[in-house]
Amino acid sequence: MAEVVFSQVKKAFGTFTAVHGLDLHIKEGEFVSLLGPSGCGKTTTLRMLAGLEFPTSGDIQIGDRVVNDIPPGQRDIAMVFQSYALYPHMSVADNIAYPLKKRGVGRADRDIAVAKTAELLQLTELLKRKPRQLSGGQQQRVALGRALVRDPKVFLLDEPLSNLDAKLRGYMRVELVELHRRLGRTMVYVTHDQLEAMTMSDRIAVMEGGVLQQFAPPAEVYAAPANRFVASFIGTPGMTLMDGELSKQGGTWRFDAPGISMDVGALNDRAEPGGACLGVRPEHVSIGQGSINGTIQVVEKTGHENIVIIGLEGGQRLTGRVPAPQSWSIGENVQLSLDAEQAHIFGPGPHGPRLNLPSNIATPDLKSAAN
Amino acid sequence: MSSSNTLLERRYAALGLMLIAPTVLVFCAVIIYPLVSAIYLSFFNIFTPTLEGEWVGLSNYTELLQTGQFWSALGNTLIWTVGTLSLQIIFGIAMALVLHQNIWFRSLARSLILFPYFISTVVAVLVWKWLFNDLYGIMNHLLISAGIIDFPMDFLGTMPNAMVSVILVGAWKYFPFVVIAVLARLQSIPDALYEAAKIDGAGPIARFFDVTLPQLREVLVVIILLRAIWDFKEFDLIFLLTGGGPINDTQTLPLLVYQEAFALNDMGRASAYAVVMMAIMLVFMIVYIRRTRSEEGS
Repeated sequence: MAEVVFSQVKKAFGTFTAVHGLDLHIKEGEFVSLLGPSGCGKTTTLRMLAGLEFPTSGDIQIGDRVVNDIPPGQRDIAMVFQSYALYPHMSVADNIAYPLKKRGVGRADRDIAVAKTAELLQLTELLKRKPRQLSGGQQQRVALGRALVRDPKVFLLDEPLSNLDAKLRGYMRVELVELHRRLGRTMVYVTHDQLEAMTMSDRIAVMEGGVLQQFAPPAEVYAAPANRFVASFIGTPGMTLMDGELSKQGGTWRFDAPGISMDVGALNDRAEPGGACLGVRPEHVSIGQGSINGTIQVVEKTGHENIVIIGLEGGQRLTGRVPAPQSWSIGENVQLSLDAEQAHIFGPGPHGPRLNLPSNIATPDLKSAAN
Repeated sequence: MSSSNTLLERRYAALGLMLIAPTVLVFCAVIIYPLVSAIYLSFFNIFTPTLEGEWVGLSNYTELLQTGQFWSALGNTLIWTVGTLSLQIIFGIAMALVLHQNIWFRSLARSLILFPYFISTVVAVLVWKWLFNDLYGIMNHLLISAGIIDFPMDFLGTMPNAMVSVILVGAWKYFPFVVIAVLARLQSIPDALYEAAKIDGAGPIARFFDVTLPQLREVLVVIILLRAIWDFKEFDLIFLLTGGGPINDTQTLPLLVYQEAFALNDMGRASAYAVVMMAIMLVFMIVYIRRTRSEEGS
């Protein structure tokens, strides 16, 4: 077990900088997801940790060793690749045994370790098969087995579920969380799928444009996004973001946009009168009564709830989420209200910082509450 | 075809037959007819200029198997094929690995490497004969200046020099084929396999034997079979370089066929040699066909 520390790590490919001065402290035994859109630098970060890319500057530490100059095979890490990268000519057993073989573990010990790993991952029946004779989910488990067999300090997982179908993905999410709980090893997980990051991680590192946007537990990332980018990236359906003006009236702030006007209470000291952005999660929109007028434009029925898209008088669109029995017809005029307590205010620009006071948002740590 | 086939299916089948018919006809004219007539001629004692002769049954074959010339030619053919093919494979893989790296002028080097393969055999042999010449050839000049030999070597006129020279020139001429085929396969090996091997603790040599070579296996089998067939029947390179000499020491089966047919004017005997050669190559062909079939199957 080991902690992983990135200190001012930068990676440039020619003139393009993939990762800008990253500082990240992953605790021992923690499950951390690197989450972001493609090209955000998350995979580069993982590959630097694996030793497959070399940082342009800065230090990477695994346990108490700076590993910048240590080759991948000696970093005491294991990695699961998106494509699984199983050796096609080797049987499942040989694939799993390979990292042990390369470290000079004797045949008898290898066989014992392979048998143990295979049992853990329910691969015992498949040990003699070749990778091409396996389904995607089985190949995935073999790739996991090859990583597990050596009992490394840190597990690196590069979008390991993205080649599986939706049902299997859901199943494997649960399996991975269970595995993490049993092994207690540090795991770094790269994904662009927020559902995976939200459901599996102890903490999520949201990245964009090579810059770390927020590093916090899933509930906090959801309930108190650090900036407008994180707010827009996390949540399905996404948070409605409306540009408008902030003004101060006495001790409280007021937000005005075409068709909408509301008191947002106290804000932190980064708040300034002028351009700002209001963010509202769909579940914080109440339809039926209120001071805001809108027209129902789209109703998406998902079964247990309906996603309603409402056009406001100013031309803005707002997404709401209501339990399934409630529904409206297209074109219907409705009154609605927003939960001011749960409204988010961000500074101007695509990365405008969060302006709410920390105490404004309840941030229950769902994972620790469940334990 | 069962009688339950619909009209449309029968029409498609007829169209298919019509489309392959020209190919089948050409195939029969240039492959089947010569093949059958070669087998037919091998049962006659035929004088080449007049193409007249008498039926002799299997005596061409029995004589052929009893003469030492056939067996020595077969031996030469095997030495030449195994020798030149091994060198082609070794140099071909080595060069493909070099050209797969990110080296300077990589695309230029990739084009240049094809040069020996594309150059006409006659031109290549003339150039090599100049290089090998014992009076003014640069090979002897360099070897003498380097102090390796004291007197000019006869590269093509003595044994084993002649066989070694032929094998080397053959390897030089045909190794680019191996380079191209291996390079194409190398480029399709996923990088993730090498990265996984690195993380699993494999060094460069282990990565070659555990990742690269197994991935090349299939393509190497095909290359070896194809090149074995082509080298086995190689004629012009050997004929132009040594003419089968000194004496008959580099005379391979194709050269022997030529000698029987056009120097000794015995077309029947030549046909018998050709048929035996075909029978030997049939073995390679059957292996090749089974190999490619099983690949398509998997």
